[in-house]
Amino acid sequence: MKNAVKNKEIKTVAIANRGEVAVRIIKACEELGLATVLLHSEADVNSRAYRMATHKICIGPSPTSESYLNIQANIQGALAAGADAVHPGFGFLSENADFAQACLDAGLIFIGPSADSIRRLGDKISCKALALKAGLPLVPGYQGDDQSVSRLITEVEKIGLPVIVKAAAGGGGRGMKLIQDMKDASDLIQSAKRESLSAFGSEKVFLEKYLDHAKHIEFQIFGDCTGKVQHLFDRECSVQRRHQKIIEEATSPSLTDELRKQMGAAAVSIGQLVNYQSAGTVEFLLQDGKFYLLEVNTRLQVEHPVTEEVVGVDLVKMQILTAMNKFIFSDQDVRIPRGHSIECRVYAENPYQGGIPSTGRLGKVSWPEGPRRRYEFGFDSGDTITSFYDPMIAKVIVWDETRMRAIEKMIHVLKEAVVFGVHTNIPYLIEILSHEEFVNATMTTRFIENNFSEGLKSRHNEDDRRKISREIYKDMLVQKSGMNPNANASTVSSPWLTPWRNV
Amino acid sequence: MIKKYSAEIVDQKLWIKQGDETWCYDVLDIASEGIRRKKTSSISPDKIVSLMPGKITKMFVKEGDSVVQGQALVVMEAMKMEYTLKSDLSTTVEKVNVELGQQVTLGQLLVQLKKV
Repeated sequence: MKNAVKNKEIKTVAIANRGEVAVRIIKACEELGLATVLLHSEADVNSRAYRMATHKICIGPSPTSESYLNIQANIQGALAAGADAVHPGFGFLSENADFAQACLDAGLIFIGPSADSIRRLGDKISCKALALKAGLPLVPGYQGDDQSVSRLITEVEKIGLPVIVKAAAGGGGRGMKLIQDMKDASDLIQSAKRESLSAFGSEKVFLEKYLDHAKHIEFQIFGDCTGKVQHLFDRECSVQRRHQKIIEEATSPSLTDELRKQMGAAAVSIGQLVNYQSAGTVEFLLQDGKFYLLEVNTRLQVEHPVTEEVVGVDLVKMQILTAMNKFIFSDQDVRIPRGHSIECRVYAENPYQGGIPSTGRLGKVSWPEGPRRRYEFGFDSGDTITSFYDPMIAKVIVWDETRMRAIEKMIHVLKEAVVFGVHTNIPYLIEILSHEEFVNATMTTRFIENNFSEGLKSRHNEDDRRKISREIYKDMLVQKSGMNPNANASTVSSPWLTPWRNV
Repeated sequence: MIKKYSAEIVDQKLWIKQGDETWCYDVLDIASEGIRRKKTSSISPDKIVSLMPGKITKMFVKEGDSVVQGQALVVMEAMKMEYTLKSDLSTTVEKVNVELGQQVTLGQLLVQLKKV
């Protein structure tokens, strides 16, 4: 089997994405000696990826439907810049089978699974049919073609509350609604259909029994260019808010060796069913020692770094090499996870105001360097966070020998981090990481809902804070006017930026 | 004694991190409070004072002009940043005390509006 496949040449990779994942892909390409083309919207000219990419092509205005979700604009941009491959990142067109096919039709290599795999696994309904065939355990639900609201309501009654409505083509929490009371069923189903239509272009939904004390466990799978599918162990992402993950870790602290073995085998078997190539993720819910298939994501995941940290791989490079027909798992290739890794998603939002999005120009941004700390971010000081896209501005990833040490390390780096210009959820992340349930690893997907539904309460005294602010402001003016002989000679360009100092 | 801090003005907001906490206020808000405390009698909506040492880069009004609430009167620059001073009143300009390009100090009276 080895060397049976012919290498495909890639010299220039087009990136159909933005933000931190675009940066991540550019870095992998740079290490492989490949040129990059950033396919960006008008809004993203001031971003790290724009500054880093070899070439850039503007594919349209800010709204995603006219740029990042526009298949033709992306293809034409990639061709115009002379790219021979396209990496879709995650979100946007990454799980769009038509895009993968359009790339192929235009003579571009799609760095990811085949259009057929995306179609069969990405559509949640077809995925469930496949899983059923493979004998995988499924959450009770309804995946029928009759999509009338009245039929869906009948099915909700049959399954029994609570029931979750999900977009068939979706992911990332959009188009997802939880029905807890029959009187809300009709409204929630229609709302899920609308969201699904606007986010994914299809209003097809399915219903599922809502497991109310489940853990979210997922397995990273990877298919090499010879067709061999392996898993690279698991991640736990139980800390979710409105179905959006906030904190992820590898490996899961909740699996026994036996469960890990069974779930890993199940994950690989569904990949094998479609001859899966490249990186993918098989998501499960685990409740009372039983696991159920949730969905398969046919792309790189946001939380892929925690797997990379514990297993010691570079998934993006593996994807690119696989697309070149170069990456092959060897028979000796036994990868054993080591230590523990945690990722926190830093969102531009105000945690003290119920998490409302915060936009604006970034001021000082500083991520404290240190061993086994990794920062994935798409914007530097001076860049503007707009309201057009996802509010995630950075990912903070740490690794340490044990889970407890990794938690302590994460809390430490988050406390040291500085982000000015937009509010962030960092205080919220620190509260979660310090919570007993998280520390004891007993959290379920309802952890946030049960413990943080009120949002964060600020404990500061407003008058004291204003007083301190005035003193600091005065101190800044003194330094600026050079009246303070002890003022540090700052190397930063902004005259208003004061380094840490003790007065 | 001020505890160790990091601070920066970004687009007219004063961002401060002290200990684990990060917060921000409108810089004009913090600056004017300081002046108000220092010279309680001299600050009122009819007095447009400089909230930081800097330079006058734009002067939109002259003596006798009528202005409306929210109208920009003066732009000043403190190093690379611009701050627009607006009128809180709808009234007329009584006196302009500074000229374009002039260096001003913290708390200096720039424009005197007619009291309403």
